[in-house]
Amino acid sequence: MDTFLQQLANGLTIGSMFALVALGYTMVYGVMRLINFAHGDMVAASAFVGLTIYTEVLGQATSLFAVIAIFMLTAVVMAMVGIILERVAYRPLREAPRLSAVVSALGASLVIQNGIMLVWGPRMRIFPELVPQVYWDFGGVVISLIQVIILVLSLILMVALYLFVEKTRIGAAIRASSIDQDAARLMGINVNSVIALIFIIGSSLGAVGGLFIGLYYRGITFNMGWQYGLYAFIAAILGGIGNIPGAMLGGMLLGLFNAFIAGYVSSTWADAFTFILLILILIVRPTGILGERVAEKV
Amino acid sequence: MKELQKFAYPVFFVVMAVLPHMLDDRWQAVAITFLIFAVVALSQDIILGKCGMFNMGQALFFGMGAYTTAILNNEYGWSILATIPLAIIIPAVFGILLAGPIVHLRGDYLLVVTIGFNIVFVQVLQNNLGGITGGPNGIFGLDSLSFLSYDLTSQISVYYFAFIVLLLTLWVMHNLAGSKPGRAMHYLREDQLAAESIGINTRIYKIFSFGLGAGIAGLAGTVYATQYSAVSPEAFEFIQSVLFFSIVLVGGSSVPGVLIGVFVMFVLPEIFREFATWRYFIFGFAMIAAMILRPRGIWPATFGKIPKFLIKDNNHGA
Repeated sequence: MDTFLQQLANGLTIGSMFALVALGYTMVYGVMRLINFAHGDMVAASAFVGLTIYTEVLGQATSLFAVIAIFMLTAVVMAMVGIILERVAYRPLREAPRLSAVVSALGASLVIQNGIMLVWGPRMRIFPELVPQVYWDFGGVVISLIQVIILVLSLILMVALYLFVEKTRIGAAIRASSIDQDAARLMGINVNSVIALIFIIGSSLGAVGGLFIGLYYRGITFNMGWQYGLYAFIAAILGGIGNIPGAMLGGMLLGLFNAFIAGYVSSTWADAFTFILLILILIVRPTGILGERVAEKV
Repeated sequence: MKELQKFAYPVFFVVMAVLPHMLDDRWQAVAITFLIFAVVALSQDIILGKCGMFNMGQALFFGMGAYTTAILNNEYGWSILATIPLAIIIPAVFGILLAGPIVHLRGDYLLVVTIGFNIVFVQVLQNNLGGITGGPNGIFGLDSLSFLSYDLTSQISVYYFAFIVLLLTLWVMHNLAGSKPGRAMHYLREDQLAAESIGINTRIYKIFSFGLGAGIAGLAGTVYATQYSAVSPEAFEFIQSVLFFSIVLVGGSSVPGVLIGVFVMFVLPEIFREFATWRYFIFGFAMIAAMILRPRGIWPATFGKIPKFLIKDNNHGA
């Protein structure tokens, strides 16, 4: 039972990080029908940007204010990178065959990954210990302060995003553009602004996810984006890509599943089991758990 | 383009036939890998380019062929050439079995499932399932090529082995293009619903493309295992599949396109090795630029028999 509760706590922590990153994939996919392969590397980059902001801008201060400042500044920087990414790599390909944009995304991923390596070097860097090491022991189940912060903050962000997309006028524009871009344009929605906004939101959520990865795992490497990105992408697919609550659900499920595999089976098989789960779910539900069945357009 | 091809093919074959005698050891190895990757990329082209299935797991079949050769040679003492039939059949059968339940998935879902197959495969190899894959180190110390009683140890003979395999693959591709399955695949790529409505069994042809592509990739795996006389899991990681995927799309879904793709995506980075840290940074930009300038690839497929005025630009497929 202890293992169960412990892995439940770990799984929810990892799951909320996956979910934050998965939202970036799913929102871009929802509007542009594009798998943004560079998103994982954006997440990795944000951990490094956060590191530099900590050492260079804030002079290694560790106060509550400093932590908030790191999150805010990193999110702003990554949102700008996201806009540039969309402008340079994706906008010129909007009318092109879909797979061309995928290759462009892979190219952008290489650029960002190797850009990180050129700026911060190929070796692993250690993320600063911004959150004090506080642990609570509930009868054998250990939960750390950082886990609580990650879980609570992620949930707040996800609920805020959900309300934003469902309840505001701008959210309605996002939903309209994801259903039919041309029709949305005819209704006076500026689809270019919507896409820019999608990249701002997705990249800032990814930035928060990247900082969480840095805070939780501590060691950050220039090529970690592929690994976390792939998991987050699976989470998005699992929930039904393009679907915002789906990404949250997929992320949480994937995190829990991973934690239980690591706790009960063996971590050397974690990837294989994850993909077998994914494949089985897709065979039963070809568009993910919450994905809608889309009729082929004739 | 057609005139150019008539002239360019013989030149290409002659150049490739004399090439190894003009290169030093390191570049001979690059040339062999070029040939192997060309074969794998062509097999990927059957699935991705010709049939329009978003397959990002081609390294799985490539690796399966290489491991088949390695295990049969190392454990059971078969000669390298004798392993070829099984190195084609086993990946082909796996290709058919794996494709069966997933070909109905929509594009991007198929993509992630094939990535999944690739990652499961690599993990199986690393964890040494069944005790025959050699774990993370792989299998090394394979025999060199031998045919009848001739011992073909030199790198040049491996080169010609790879070259013959490439020629064989080109022959298959050429025949496929005009055959019934080839035309059916082209149709279903352009418009699956229309293909179905005139009675093409799209499911069968999709699975067929996986089987054929997997078999050819398996054969390339045999050559790969021969070249290094070793196999290890990291050579067949999913990142390798990403490379084959990009080769077909950057080059374009035609034989010259795929060959140009392999040259651009594999040989050029080798040439610019001295710029070690910068090369992939610039390479990424080059990929973006290539797609913006030529969204259908550097040398896209052309379909000669349809009159020009009937072809309307459309956005389906690769």
